[in-house]
Amino acid sequence: MRRVARILGFARSTRYALALVFAFLAVAFAASAQEAVDLSGTRTSPLQHWRGKVLVLVFVRTDCPISNRYAPLIQQLSAKYAARAAFLLVFPDKAESPGAIRAYLRDFGYTIPALRDTDHALVKKAGARVTPEAAVFNAKRDLVYRGRIDDLYPALGKSRHAASTHELADAIDAAVRGVAPPRASAEAAGCVIADLQ
Amino acid sequence: MIRRVRIALALLACALAAGLLRAERGWPGASREPNAAAQRVTFNRDVAPILFRFCAACHRPGESAPFSLLTYADAKSHARQIAAVTQARIMPPWLPAPGEFKFADELRLTEEQIRVFRRWVEDGEAEGAASDLPPRPRFLPGWQLGKPDLILKAPKPYLLPASGTDQYWNFIFRTPLKETRWLNAIEIRPGDQRLVHHANVLVDRLESSRAQETTPGAGFGGMEIKIESEAFDPDSHFLFWKPGSVPRKEPEGMALRLDAGTDLVLNVHLQPSGKPEWIQPSIGLYFTDQPATKFPMLLQLENDAKLDIPPGAHDFVVTDDFTLPEDVELLAIYPHAHYLGRDLQAFATFPDGEKKSLLHIPNWDLNWQAVYRYAQPVHLPAGTAVSMHYTYDNSEENPLNPNSPPKRVVAGNRASDEMAHLWLQVLPDAPVTAASDPRRVLQEALARHKIENNPGDFEAHYNLAAVLQQRGEVAEAARHYELALRIRPESAIANNAYGGALMAAGHPESAVKYLAAALRARPDYFDACYNLGLALAMENDFAGAEGYFRRAVQLAPEDANAEANLGSALAALGKNDEARLHLQRALALNPGLSFARENLDQLPPPDKKR
Repeated sequence: MRRVARILGFARSTRYALALVFAFLAVAFAASAQEAVDLSGTRTSPLQHWRGKVLVLVFVRTDCPISNRYAPLIQQLSAKYAARAAFLLVFPDKAESPGAIRAYLRDFGYTIPALRDTDHALVKKAGARVTPEAAVFNAKRDLVYRGRIDDLYPALGKSRHAASTHELADAIDAAVRGVAPPRASAEAAGCVIADLQ
Repeated sequence: MIRRVRIALALLACALAAGLLRAERGWPGASREPNAAAQRVTFNRDVAPILFRFCAACHRPGESAPFSLLTYADAKSHARQIAAVTQARIMPPWLPAPGEFKFADELRLTEEQIRVFRRWVEDGEAEGAASDLPPRPRFLPGWQLGKPDLILKAPKPYLLPASGTDQYWNFIFRTPLKETRWLNAIEIRPGDQRLVHHANVLVDRLESSRAQETTPGAGFGGMEIKIESEAFDPDSHFLFWKPGSVPRKEPEGMALRLDAGTDLVLNVHLQPSGKPEWIQPSIGLYFTDQPATKFPMLLQLENDAKLDIPPGAHDFVVTDDFTLPEDVELLAIYPHAHYLGRDLQAFATFPDGEKKSLLHIPNWDLNWQAVYRYAQPVHLPAGTAVSMHYTYDNSEENPLNPNSPPKRVVAGNRASDEMAHLWLQVLPDAPVTAASDPRRVLQEALARHKIENNPGDFEAHYNLAAVLQQRGEVAEAARHYELALRIRPESAIANNAYGGALMAAGHPESAVKYLAAALRARPDYFDACYNLGLALAMENDFAGAEGYFRRAVQLAPEDANAEANLGSALAALGKNDEARLHLQRALALNPGLSFARENLDQLPPPDKKR
């Protein structure tokens, strides 16, 4: 029997329940495996949820100082776009336990939901290569942006005094308006995900 | 009753005893290159020795790096990252290209070592035989030079915000010394090492930084700070910390003087971590009984006046060339630019015309700035020209350009401004004697050189004046103080020094105006207060002098001269009882103060009780 994924930390409105039904159907037809695991250990397919909303995946790991430094910004962006976009933190390191991730979320003041992508199914779907890297799916679940959050870390080993471009915010802005982002991708610099296989 | 006027020298000081890599202690060399292509690279045999020697000092629990690299599992979960960052020579952080002269503690991997990391990934990241694994490096916990003689903790912690730009914070450590001591090491413990990119200790002998604190002990922000110091006490030591570095004892005879009342200012470069963090550094002081016998000095080449970089410029060059008037040994070098600096070079052109590179950083990165100490001192004979040749990239292609689109950038203290500085730590070959001090010759030549570069250089005029005054060329000194004052009419130290020079030249009447201006600029400025009292006393205005000496005594209750002068002024006014009290107090503070004794003896005997 297939279970509907439990996504913690979200208010369940009627609309939400309906969306879940659609999600369930979509999963049934697409017949793909559930990609990720939430922190309670339940397998889930986040791409099937929040239909009608933009979905933003942010790939992070607890020991990557670059993704850590972005925690306040990611949290701010998720609040700013709460009505139009859902945010998910994706942890691709199978060595990071749910307990360690929970402690990390507390430490860094995260309130957005987190998933473990231990098989790297979401990594592949998004084409993410490093942490932090973001993937923006539009309401139809086309991948419309993949890459860096901004240019604070413009290249491997380089950090600017302050960011001067804001690719992720620009991409979400465009996606919630239903138009293509100014850039479909921008190379991210950070911690290599392939090391986590 | 003339007291030598204290003169302050404004110097931008910097930076340390750069780092001996901790892991190096007793550790054998690099890994063996896997000799045959057929042999698979393994962690235990090939990778671990390199990690232990070059990386583990920082990549271990509690240190600056974000993750450890001590075990197979540690390395495997960062294997591609390691291959990529070593290939790009981002790690280990070491900016200079191999050059003419070797530096101490070079953190540079060989091509073979870099290849080991790459091949390890290609070969499948095998662990290898347990018997191949060398013992883990052992690290000393706590203070690296043993328990310090004195540990100072920052009076108040600083709260680093969770996000935002890099922060530069300054902590003032008030030293509790009662007398002059000699230091042969300072160990800096910057607090949470993951947040601190680098840290500098600056010696502030005149408490000149305290005015910048909103409340005492609070510290203050700022990337580049100016410290005032006494004349002929030029900055002498780099006191610099960067991740992975440990302090080193100063060479024999090169102890650093620390007087009673000296402040140590720790300038710290911090990067937000994503959550709010409290930082409260400590410093450990190690004393020696051996006063300094060798006197190194920091020479600064710079050409900030030429920094006017148009937007889009790829190769904007700024140079400075200074010809040494004395034979020196070059001990260490510290280059400094901000985010537009790209290629930083320093070289020496010897008197015979031969040119040698002193430092070449082809890919400058402010975040990894460091002091580089030569493995062996580099002899630079008098007549050698030392040159700085910096190239700046203000184009879109510079990934670190603070402005997008690029803007015109000039010199300044903010991160978005630029700098073109090169500091050299030199030890003059000629000894310092009572009669001659080679540092003065260097200081004067450097100040004259800077004025040539930039006639609007306040510090250069000021420093030159101080040297001239010390040499007794009072009129010429006064001229340069006046030029400095034209550049910064409000400067407390320049007004005070100019007033002092005028007094020394026998014109106390002209000095009054400048000393009063100094005191207006800084109401708690003891030297200005004292000198103003003195100038008025020299003009026989004892009533005016009395007030300023009273204030001086309040500002520095332990100053025998101020007490003696107050007593003398009171005596001149006929206030004999009070005069006696202050003269006696002066003699209690300094029994050798002969003029106080003479003035006391000339007072009529105290009134008998009626």
